[in-house]
Amino acid sequence: MLMCRGLAEIASDYIDGELSGRQNLTVKMHLMMCKDCRTFIGNLRASSSLLSAHSAGRPDEEFLRQIDERVTEALKNRATKDSESD
Amino acid sequence: MDTAARPELETSLIDDLKRGDATAYHRAVREYSPGMLAVARFYLDHSSAEEVVQDCWVTVIDAIQKFEGRSGLKTWLHRIVANRCKNKLRSSNREVATDFSESLEPELADRFNAKGRWDLPPKLQFHESADNLVENGALSDCLDKHLSALPETQRSALMLYEAHQHKSDDVCNILDVSASNLRVLLHRARQKIFLMVETFQETGEC
Ligand SMILES: [Zn+2]
Repeated sequence: MLMCRGLAEIASDYIDGELSGRQNLTVKMHLMMCKDCRTFIGNLRASSSLLSAHSAGRPDEEFLRQIDERVTEALKNRATKDSESD
Repeated sequence: MDTAARPELETSLIDDLKRGDATAYHRAVREYSPGMLAVARFYLDHSSAEEVVQDCWVTVIDAIQKFEGRSGLKTWLHRIVANRCKNKLRSSNREVATDFSESLEPELADRFNAKGRWDLPPKLQFHESADNLVENGALSDCLDKHLSALPETQRSALMLYEAHQHKSDDVCNILDVSASNLRVLLHRARQKIFLMVETFQETGEC
């Protein structure tokens, strides 16, 4: 029988639809009877969508500007090389 | 703007990049660098990772000419970053170690009794939603803080999968982890975020 702890262990697989049909059914049965696990799954799912919406790990503008500079320079060099070989 | 969701936009961006259009590069750098940095951070410390991403953009200028669009632009860029990081690691002989043996965070595992039932169940339903995240600066800051505290393997997996919406196969490919290990990485990272939001909601503190 699937206990709350066992359900918590596979909760992300359930959320992402990675469980087998049989496992999925076992989780669904447990959720029907267990309010705490329903809250847990709901909250874990909410955490996951919070993350999708949150643009963390975003590099700062200074870093992006440095890339722009290097790219611009490399593009210029390339254009010069092209016109020389013409 | 999300060009991945609109293939015709991506195709025209690729054409512009091939022509060496500076505006197109400016746009592409902003759209794709966050994901590229997440990939690099899986392998390298922060400053080496930034360096690799910068170097990659310069190589893209030539490499894009041979890009045939068999994979999406994003996946292609992430592969370039991953390969460069692997080469760098090989030359510095540094190993990336990860423990995949436990699927529950210790802090969460402690909340079950010996029978496997909840001892300390989740008390509240989260009311924070993706919609009000933007207005809630404190929560947003807190997320940032916890994300940067995650082990790099977990953070990269989470960023690629959740924030940059990669398919599992692609993430495994880019990060060079097995499918089952990716599941562990994702699940552990989500639990940490779950615990963080729970504390935040109960106490208002990060
Ligand atoms: Zn339960």
